[in-house]
Amino acid sequence: MNKIEIKTGSQKLIAATAFLTVIGFSLWVYQIVRGLFVSDMRNLSPWGLYITMFMFFVGLSAGGLIIATVPRVFGLKGFKPVSKIAVYLAICCTVLAGLFIVVDLGRPERMWHLLAYSNLGSPLMWDVLVIPTYLIVSTVYLWATLRAEKGKGSEASLKMLSTVALITAILVHSVTAWIFGLQIGRPFWHTSLLAPMFISSALVSGLALTLFVVLILQKVGYLQRDPESKCRMASLLGLFVLVDLFLLFCELITAAYPLGGTEFQVVKTMLTGIFAPMFWIEVLGGLLAAFLLLNTGTQKDNRLVGGASLLAILGIFFKRYQLLLGGFQFPNLTHFSITTGPVAPDAGTWWRGLQGSFIYFPSIFEWSLTIGVVSMGALLLTLGLKYLPLKPAK
Amino acid sequence: MANKRLGMVIDTKRCIGCHTCAMACKVENNLPDKNWWNRTLTVGGKEMDTPSGTFPNASMSYITLACQHCENPACTKVCPVGATYKREADGVVMQDYDKCIGCRYCMVACPYTGVRVFNWEKPKYQVDFAVGDANVTPHQKHTVEKCMLCTHRLAKGLQPACIEVCTARARHFGDFNDPNSKVSQLLLKRSHFQLLPDKETNPTVYFLT
Repeated sequence: MNKIEIKTGSQKLIAATAFLTVIGFSLWVYQIVRGLFVSDMRNLSPWGLYITMFMFFVGLSAGGLIIATVPRVFGLKGFKPVSKIAVYLAICCTVLAGLFIVVDLGRPERMWHLLAYSNLGSPLMWDVLVIPTYLIVSTVYLWATLRAEKGKGSEASLKMLSTVALITAILVHSVTAWIFGLQIGRPFWHTSLLAPMFISSALVSGLALTLFVVLILQKVGYLQRDPESKCRMASLLGLFVLVDLFLLFCELITAAYPLGGTEFQVVKTMLTGIFAPMFWIEVLGGLLAAFLLLNTGTQKDNRLVGGASLLAILGIFFKRYQLLLGGFQFPNLTHFSITTGPVAPDAGTWWRGLQGSFIYFPSIFEWSLTIGVVSMGALLLTLGLKYLPLKPAK
Repeated sequence: MANKRLGMVIDTKRCIGCHTCAMACKVENNLPDKNWWNRTLTVGGKEMDTPSGTFPNASMSYITLACQHCENPACTKVCPVGATYKREADGVVMQDYDKCIGCRYCMVACPYTGVRVFNWEKPKYQVDFAVGDANVTPHQKHTVEKCMLCTHRLAKGLQPACIEVCTARARHFGDFNDPNSKVSQLLLKRSHFQLLPDKETNPTVYFLT
């Protein structure tokens, strides 16, 4: 591909993502004016797609940054050629995670309360402190990497910085997990395994996204093809997918073995109930992806590796979504009562038919606003790839 | 003066599931459309006022559900800005609408299904004038709200509205730190339970059996 084609291609991408971002912003303003009623979140399911996306993007970000920093921290021959892109990708994902929180807040104009009236006992507050720290650390790390390429700054200081970045990345996703995992009132979430599972899912989704972006960039000529590095990343991703599935299996067997109780009912819902489609796509898709990534034959095929990466990302999205939904799908008090607050359009039926249907499904508005926010991430990514020196140094 | 531990005792042997307490709360606090801070739950079948089991072995009772004003609240721990807090002097778990940023974490943390409500849009009302007590804090869009034990009535030496109106005289209110109060005496004399004790919240709402 010649340079002129890439230029117009990226210009079209910038224009398209900028347009969708503006639409997204307008939708957000409409949501503030009309009310969060435009979402399908209600009193019995107060968190929804926005918080799912927040979890998902913190994971993508933390995973990407862990992949980029571990080689340098442990002195491994790593993914140096793509590490700058991975770090920048992580920065974009962090920004998106923050935006999804802002979009979910009822009173964003009162955000300053978080600093003025901080309750340091709240896991949400911990995340409010850790995420900006993480954003600053990853930006400084990228800046230091770019400086080091020009000859300024030492390898030792870069190694120290990457250690700090690695620790912060692990911390940020553990804290995000604790927002959910420490809640005794939501048994679906209340497991000590949640933070390890979040980090494991982050590694899968972060590496999968980095790998996918790298393959695209190689295809359009932004990066040179590097089959050896690609195969190494693919193998590592395959391994991460298997570890993630193992942790899921640990959760399931622990809940299912007693063959009774609320936890067992939850497992039944996942294996054969309303959660089954998402669950089986996640598990079988994950196994298929792991095979394609680890098999020395298939990992040479870019399309298969790209497809496997997308499958892994989709599996992690379903995992995040199921986690959130599961927290509300199984209320603690199930005695019949009138519903509090406004209800979804087919109110009489969804409340009474709780057994056989989801307690929440994102509205079209929520999907649209989500696309708007994600477009902003795509815009940031494209602008960064175009105007920042992110290509591997020669 | 010693701190009070205000709470309620509800006699399930007397409760007839009439919803008067729920309605009284709704009117007293001028609740926006479709918001209920107190509700009557049917302990029995899948629909309201239906029993479990089949005749002649059917069974049905009622519990009323509002904020449990827990001794170890899950909600106050997680509010990032301290908009929900437990009052030292009397143990009422309060909600500060002005501080609330609408993150809804308290709704997520509270184990008691449905006691916290969020104003998903600008509060709408059935009538075009405010009802209930004039001293009730006006409701705000995009904030969380719930039962606050009618603190505006407590300030005047009255009991919460839901306690006064119970047609079956099933509801009692008082200070659990006072061993001579009606509520403390009832707990000594009658068997009772709390909701969701395994969630370690230690509610100050007890149900007599």
